[in-house]
Amino acid sequence: MIVGGVDVGSATGKAVVMKDGEIIGSDMIAATTRPQETARLVMEAAVRQAGLSSIDHLDNIIGTGYGRLKVPFAQENVSEISCHARGAHWLAPSTRTVVDIGGQDCKVISVSEKGTVLNFAMNDRCAAGTGRFFEAMARVLYCGLEGISALENQGEEPCIISNQCSVFAESEVVTLVNEGTELPSIIAGINISVASRLHSMVRRVGLVEDLVLTGGCSKNDGLARALAAKLDIKIERLPQDPQLAGAVGAALIAAEKAG
Amino acid sequence: METDIKSEAFRKFLEASESIMNPEVRAWKDQGRGVVGFFCSTVPEELFTAAGLLPFRMRGTGSTSTELSDAYFSPINCSFPRHTFNQALRGEYDFLDGLVCINSCDHVRRIYDNWIRALKTPFVQVMSLPRKVGEPQIDWYYDELNILRGQLEEHFGVQLTDQRIAEAIGLQNQVRGLQKQLYLLRKADKPPITGAETLAVMVAGTAMPKQRYKELLTELLEELGEKQGSRDYRARLMLLGGELDDPAYIEIIEKQGGLVVTDSSCFGSRLMWASVDEAEPDPIRALARYYIHDRPSCPRMYGLQPQRIAFTREMAREFRVDGIIGERLLFCDQWVVENYMTELDLKEDEIPFMALDREYILSGEGQLRTRVQAFLETLEARGN
Repeated sequence: MIVGGVDVGSATGKAVVMKDGEIIGSDMIAATTRPQETARLVMEAAVRQAGLSSIDHLDNIIGTGYGRLKVPFAQENVSEISCHARGAHWLAPSTRTVVDIGGQDCKVISVSEKGTVLNFAMNDRCAAGTGRFFEAMARVLYCGLEGISALENQGEEPCIISNQCSVFAESEVVTLVNEGTELPSIIAGINISVASRLHSMVRRVGLVEDLVLTGGCSKNDGLARALAAKLDIKIERLPQDPQLAGAVGAALIAAEKAG
Repeated sequence: METDIKSEAFRKFLEASESIMNPEVRAWKDQGRGVVGFFCSTVPEELFTAAGLLPFRMRGTGSTSTELSDAYFSPINCSFPRHTFNQALRGEYDFLDGLVCINSCDHVRRIYDNWIRALKTPFVQVMSLPRKVGEPQIDWYYDELNILRGQLEEHFGVQLTDQRIAEAIGLQNQVRGLQKQLYLLRKADKPPITGAETLAVMVAGTAMPKQRYKELLTELLEELGEKQGSRDYRARLMLLGGELDDPAYIEIIEKQGGLVVTDSSCFGSRLMWASVDEAEPDPIRALARYYIHDRPSCPRMYGLQPQRIAFTREMAREFRVDGIIGERLLFCDQWVVENYMTELDLKEDEIPFMALDREYILSGEGQLRTRVQAFLETLEARGN
């Protein structure tokens, strides 16, 4: 049986094709302003990678992510909360807590031994603790998102960024830049600030190890280290691209529903 | 709202819930009769009815922004008073002949100060609601009600006799009884009315002449008695919270498949689950006891959390609820503590609970859908 999962997020579209419990194709693209289009483009790319000629060859497809209602070829849609839980648990079965740091929100999900959701907390009221926050900081630092990952890794003393509001944090960062503070120190401070936000959400849901990170921002090693330090735990890294976890979960649920 | 209820009565209820001024209020005004606005379900609307006035529960329906009221409120004030006062500043409440404010919370209480400063409503009063619920507080509220009675008599030139007040209590109790009947229909496997539709009916009850509302509600109940709703829902939900007057909010929850079958909310069951004691010879005493003590309380009242959680549990059991959503307006400290305690208590009963923060006007639909959908998925995962 061949199934697919497509995760139409706010910043990127992700798709995974699975055959008999194995990933045989996957892709990721920047989101367009039309979720239908994002879904189609990324799914077609994943299907090609899987060596198939058309989306029609898939037995079942589940859509997830903010654009999940706009995936014309999906049979059903499932919330990204369930999909990330399922995907992360499949990728690392010891997972009991998922911290998903996406483009426009972050979620902390408590996961059962079976990979289902027990409880969750979600920040979607502002950009704090999300990819948008990093984008705003990268803009005032003229370093790009890649720069944030690359520049952090130099062991400087981190600055203190006290505001979690991205607008006010931006002002703080501009002040630091104008005081002549080195970029790696500022970036370390930004990572700590985002980790603080995530830390409080993890505490609210209740920390049960193993904790894994999913979503685009989880690729930022500095952030992962800052969060691990705050929680005083070791954060397990997923064996595959953590940004695909939602799409993987959607594909797994597609397989289950297709029986 | 999408609805398959066809009656004219429901159409009128829907119209009243979706606007501030509705044709029933307009017709009443055209007859030269008065309307008194009031905040909070603890204000005894029976007194207005007894004075020949139409009690109108204040809302910010239709508001899209708060640019006028933001000059009067701070950014950490609740969005309910900000939107409602903004509607007043825009002239949407110019039809009021009077307004009775109350210290149901500090945000709502502040409306009184701003109102008398900015608006020209001829009769504006503020009541003092006690926090505890014992005999001394019933006595206090008894005095408050007598003060209001005197103010109404003087300003509107009416005599508020015990007889008239008792009649108004009788009428309001009949309305409560009908509303409760409506709720009981929702115990069915295929409830003939959704949660969103029910809220429209309840909100309309605070925005129409009482006698007229009673007649329309009787019509609606007759129609619903023969109707079967859909069994096509994923879970039966109960809604817990304070000021929620927008059926569209519940509609979003229900479109995800979570049928709201009951609630404890102040446009919902708390308005009518209990009734005023008509055997009490002093009707003002009966009202004071009802509003302070007898009706299901909200977290505004001190020391009654055990009774509130008992009420929630009983509702959940009676209506065979799969999960409970606690909605709360941002910055409401009364409900944030209540939701926290509720979640802890419900864990003992293994009833899943999700707290949702919201703004007064509907916003962030996508995020609301995600949360509700995920909650429903967790309920289904439990069942498997």
